Amino acid sequence: MIFQKPSSEIALEKNTEKEPMNTSQSSVDDSVDTIVGPSVNVEGDFASAGNIIVKGTVSGSVSTSKHLLAEEGSKIMANIQAGSATISGIVKGNVKVKDTLIITSTAKILGDIKVKTLQVDAGAVVQGKIIMSMPSELTEKSTSGRSSFKRKEKKV
Amino acid sequence: MYVYLYDNFLSNKKFDAIIKSMEVCLTDYGIAGKILRLNNFIDVKPIIDDEIKRGATTIVIVGNDKTFGNVLSRSATCKVTFGFLPVGPDNTISDVLGIPINLESCDVLSRRLRERLDVGWVNNRYFVSQLHVYPSKIEVDYDEKFRVKSENELEIVVCNLQPFFWKTDKKDRNQVQVNPKDGKLEAFLRPAKKKKWFGKYVYEQASVFPFEEMIIRSDKAFEIEADGKKTKEKKIKIKLAPSRIDVIVGRERKF
Repeated sequence: MIFQKPSSEIALEKNTEKEPMNTSQSSVDDSVDTIVGPSVNVEGDFASAGNIIVKGTVSGSVSTSKHLLAEEGSKIMANIQAGSATISGIVKGNVKVKDTLIITSTAKILGDIKVKTLQVDAGAVVQGKIIMSMPSELTEKSTSGRSSFKRKEKKV
Repeated sequence: MYVYLYDNFLSNKKFDAIIKSMEVCLTDYGIAGKILRLNNFIDVKPIIDDEIKRGATTIVIVGNDKTFGNVLSRSATCKVTFGFLPVGPDNTISDVLGIPINLESCDVLSRRLRERLDVGWVNNRYFVSQLHVYPSKIEVDYDEKFRVKSENELEIVVCNLQPFFWKTDKKDRNQVQVNPKDGKLEAFLRPAKKKKWFGKYVYEQASVFPFEEMIIRSDKAFEIEADGKKTKEKKIKIKLAPSRIDVIVGRERKF
């Protein structure tokens, strides 16, 4: 029995093992974040498709479609464009964030901020204009309210 | 037709048993082929070109990370499928490719699951696993967009296949896995300061920049090591050659 030839059933069983469809690619995000170390200076248009972590100095411009994390002790002398951001260092320049901007207690921002959602911790310093975009529902309501008011006026 | 390139170190007696069992396994699978033994001074490219002319469809590298790097750095332009049978110590690339070490690797080779992988290009030659720039006073331009400088000397490791691992720093013990199919190379860069005593380097926290093109320049010549080959340069241009090599990989690959 030991030296029996493998039957067709056994062979089929072996073949039924299916190839996994690259499960690692979907479950684990292995994209490497861009990290600017503490004693590194970056000059120029600093752009990345992934997350950016700044611990050192950046001058020029910074842009990412994902998250920007400026750690305590970091210096960004640049205009910032990001999907979302957390700032704990010094920023000299305008900040434009699509979604949420978190300004922690150690942060100093000298420039205008344009953001959708803003969170500012006690102790943070912000010198500049803050423009927050209104949610679309609110803007629609406000415009419809005005028009109804005008109509009422006409009736009177 | 399969052609097997055996590294020089496999002629050591302690590898006899494993090599024999692998050869038996390959014969059982019906993929046994011509065996060529590499010496340290052989240029692999003309050998592979000859074998392709004779009808070779798959070149199988038998050895460790160094063998894999040495062969592919010279023959990345060859239009042939590459296989890898990792044997013995110093095998980290096999883990990324999902190929088990020693006998089990024959099973992966027989399945012929293929992937096209990116390769790095530096000053007219390719590198597959890793490029190392030793600490020196350098400036780095990324993708012609931004420049990275430091007051101290900089050490750079550009990774493609080989996992990133700073061996001397206790803080950075975590391995960073890089994806050889993501269309980017990853540069790990850390400032290094020389200690007065014994001339040892003290390293600072590393920076990480994914990139497609990078120029490293300096006033003085600096030492680089690409896939185990050391040279001295004043200016190097590192580029990405996307989907350049066709490699047989395993199911458990890390990308």
